[in-house]
Amino acid sequence: MEPLFHAAPFTGYVYPNETIIAWTALIVVYPYLTGLVAGAFTISSLYQVFGFRQLRPVAHFALLVSLSCMIVVPLPLLLHLGHPERAFNAMITPHATSAFAIFSYAAAFYVSLLILETWFVFRPYIVHQAQHRQGVLGSLYRVLSLGSYDLSEKAMRYDRKWIFALAIIGIPGAHGLHGYVGFVFGSLKSREWWSSDLMPAIFLFSAIISGTALVIVLYVLSCKLRKIPIDLSCLKVMAYALWGFMMFTLLLEGVEFASLVYRGREGTQVIMEYVQGRLIVPFFILQFGIGSVLPIATITFLIWRGINGKALIAGVTASALLVLLAVLMMRWNVVIGGQEIAKTGKGLLAYHPPILGREGLLAAASVLIAPFVLLLVMIRLFPPWEQEPSAAVPASAR
Amino acid sequence: MPRHIIRLLLLMAAFGGAAYAAMAFFTADSFYKYGHYRGNSVAEIASDKPKYKGATYCDSCHAERFAEWSKGVHNRPDRGKVLVGCETCHGAAGGRDTTGMFQHAASGADHPNNLKLAVPAEPAKLCTHCHERIVGRPAQQPQIVVADHAGTQQCTVCHNAHSPRLGLVVAAAPASSRSDASVGKVKAVMCTGCHGADGVSENLPGPSLAGQKESYLVEALTAYSTGARSNPMMNAAAQAVSIEDSANIAAYFAGLKCESTLNHEKQVASAAQATVSKCIACHGANGISANRSWPNLVGLSKNYLIDALRAYREGARKNAIMAGIVSNLSDAHIEEAAAYYANTTCR
Amino acid sequence: METEEQLEKQQRERRNFLSCLGSAVACGAAAVMAGTVLSRATAAVRAAVTGGPTRPAIPGYDWTKHRWAFGVDATKCIGCLRCVEACKRENDVPADAHHFRTWVERYVYLEGEETARVDSQADPVNIAASGSEGEYRFADRYKDAKVEKAFFVPKLCNQCTNPACVQVCPTGATYRTEDGVVLIDHAYCIGCQYCVQACPYGARYFNAEKGVSDKCTWCYHRITKGLQPACVEVCPVGARIFGDREDPQSPINQFIRDNQVQVLKRETGNSPNVFYVGIDKEVS
Repeated sequence: MEPLFHAAPFTGYVYPNETIIAWTALIVVYPYLTGLVAGAFTISSLYQVFGFRQLRPVAHFALLVSLSCMIVVPLPLLLHLGHPERAFNAMITPHATSAFAIFSYAAAFYVSLLILETWFVFRPYIVHQAQHRQGVLGSLYRVLSLGSYDLSEKAMRYDRKWIFALAIIGIPGAHGLHGYVGFVFGSLKSREWWSSDLMPAIFLFSAIISGTALVIVLYVLSCKLRKIPIDLSCLKVMAYALWGFMMFTLLLEGVEFASLVYRGREGTQVIMEYVQGRLIVPFFILQFGIGSVLPIATITFLIWRGINGKALIAGVTASALLVLLAVLMMRWNVVIGGQEIAKTGKGLLAYHPPILGREGLLAAASVLIAPFVLLLVMIRLFPPWEQEPSAAVPASAR
Repeated sequence: MPRHIIRLLLLMAAFGGAAYAAMAFFTADSFYKYGHYRGNSVAEIASDKPKYKGATYCDSCHAERFAEWSKGVHNRPDRGKVLVGCETCHGAAGGRDTTGMFQHAASGADHPNNLKLAVPAEPAKLCTHCHERIVGRPAQQPQIVVADHAGTQQCTVCHNAHSPRLGLVVAAAPASSRSDASVGKVKAVMCTGCHGADGVSENLPGPSLAGQKESYLVEALTAYSTGARSNPMMNAAAQAVSIEDSANIAAYFAGLKCESTLNHEKQVASAAQATVSKCIACHGANGISANRSWPNLVGLSKNYLIDALRAYREGARKNAIMAGIVSNLSDAHIEEAAAYYANTTCR
Repeated sequence: METEEQLEKQQRERRNFLSCLGSAVACGAAAVMAGTVLSRATAAVRAAVTGGPTRPAIPGYDWTKHRWAFGVDATKCIGCLRCVEACKRENDVPADAHHFRTWVERYVYLEGEETARVDSQADPVNIAASGSEGEYRFADRYKDAKVEKAFFVPKLCNQCTNPACVQVCPTGATYRTEDGVVLIDHAYCIGCQYCVQACPYGARYFNAEKGVSDKCTWCYHRITKGLQPACVEVCPVGARIFGDREDPQSPINQFIRDNQVQVLKRETGNSPNVFYVGIDKEVS
């Protein structure tokens, strides 16, 4: 039978209760997923709100990616809870001082927003399918259409207004949703590794780059599968976005770490021991070296030399994959890393994740894969490619 | 407004209303009563049954033990609060023992109702929790280096766990400062016949008494006179001696110089180390006891020692401490121990 | 065959009917909302007016009349760990070396070293010396070393006045009582372990069997009956002191009056209520 808990070995001195690592792989996957939500939505908003017309091919697809990830977001949390059946307690009696309670409402709000936005964007398709599809799917579309097949100019005008409004609200919504995850860690007094005012910003910007990278990878993949040529201008805009946000993310992370070391509070010595020891592979090599410096260098090179065509696609896609890895490692290094540095400031632990069980790596991997399975279903139900993205671009940008 | 927008708004309103109703419905009754929590949980938590009952709880059934404990060093609330209560060693009167250190391990019900008293299976394991000398323990705590103090013996062999300070409860007749060795010398003339002139008996029936512990001698005479210790000669002799004379005689013999018995088996002494490790704690490596109530063994003949050990083993001589130690000794071991102590030299 | 006009009329009527239905639903929803708001408001008003039971139903105990506090005299602690064991028995704490409501730390300064070597009950060397994970003992590991200074420090939940753990709880499952104890409602906790992360002292742990977070409660079920916490009851040397700050003669008030006391991690602003005497520069 799987043991109820796994005790972590340690060096130096750690509080006895700390030998059980509380937040495990599931809590690494959770901010990763919410990050993808925020990032993919940003790409969609760049089209809907900021008028980047080059992003038209991916605008609706990014929305579906965001929605698929958002629906799966509660799953790792529910798996982690000691009493998932009581999860709604945080919504029934939300404790206003708790970031988790605020999240439950922010997430509920945001998933509703995403559903609404998706509905409006795909309403012409839904109405069309409601009128012509048979069987179960047909009934589904008819329910979704809310019994109205109105696609008149007046109706579409309302729709466009709603899409625009939702996209605008959705930007702070998405960023608040993921920024608060950073606040969960950054607001705690108990761990020097987490306690930082910059945490919300760091989480947010790394979220944007992860979402952008995901849309890039999935877009390239879907074009290959559909055997249609990749829109290079679209890819370039996404690459620029990735590049710009990456620099800023690196800056924030660098400043945060530098501040920590410079302040030199109690426990910094042990942190330096950790950074120069156990953290070398996950942080310096994976997150920083391979995951950040290499993609930035690659994209810089591509832009500088004005490279195009297949080389551009390959370079950008490879960079995007590395960024996805880097952001996952960043979540790991923050969540697990923070718990491997003891609250005593005198010791370090070593977390060895189990493979099986509720908190195991397999469970975490399944949760990571789930949104993509869901996305496949979504694409079938609401094809983002076949129709022209509804022109919700503001008049000023036309 | 287009139909679908209206319907959407209505749907959102209905959903919002349903959500709010659910929130109101599912909120626990006592929530928000005293603050942002379920008010009833305070009383629920407070209603748990305590498992540790305190020492006075045990008094009702275990009165003599409690009395013993009350007067002992484990109960000194005035002196910087030293209080080793019953439950500190026996475990909570209610509740489970999860350590497995006890016989009759409790399994949830309270002790008087369902279960036997949990008795520590290995006292040494328990006592050394407090009394083993380890780095960090403040100097005012009595501590011993276990290996040097008692080897592998259980603490309760010598110490009464309920009143552990030695000499407090044991000695019945302390050596009185009013005893007079010169008077004793006159009275002791009748003893020399068996115990030798100057208390050194080489081949005489009685053991050497010279240099023996005064307190022990008094106790022995008392025991002989009451019959607690049985020997036809000594029973008669002791009854002829008054209490005052016992003290004087004891003082006289204690003041004499002991003499080692002649022993040619020097090589036995080294081989007997393992056997006598048990004896050394009380009787010393050189045969001089640590406590005034325990007899010195130096100066006694090997045969006398063998007889004495056999008598303890068979129960002819009664002593709780000695009985525990020698109960499993084989004849060979008895001989080894006797030879060892017979080989010790007086100083 | 219906004319265009008749069709249009039918559609209009259907539309009217549907919008009436829609309005009815909306009114219903509004009514439900209004009803619940009203009922909550009236309940609150009723409670305020009648004054109902304003304190928890604990027989013979009024929580407004007590203000509990705890003291630790680290100069007296002998590291016997009877407190650790008693607490586990009294409160059904998991019987292993990784979940503690209270524990004892040993600080040892070896000659020539400036930082202390610290160990506690989760240390494998101590677990080996005790014989099993369910028994607790300090191994005699420094007996051959040159020790300059060494002492024991008992630790437990500080029942802070501004607890970080209560601040982060999403549901209100953990809270501070009027008599100064931070409790956990095991029937309401969802087991997210945010509080475990937030506590700077490492006082909390997750009980995987019950699926809830847990910690020392100063034996609330005992102190509300006039008893002492189990660890205080069992300590043989008086290293743990407990009492009521509302009572000028209580042991804790005497302890605070007679000594220069300090608290752990003052800079966190949590205002802990366990007062220490005799701890050293490195104890935190």
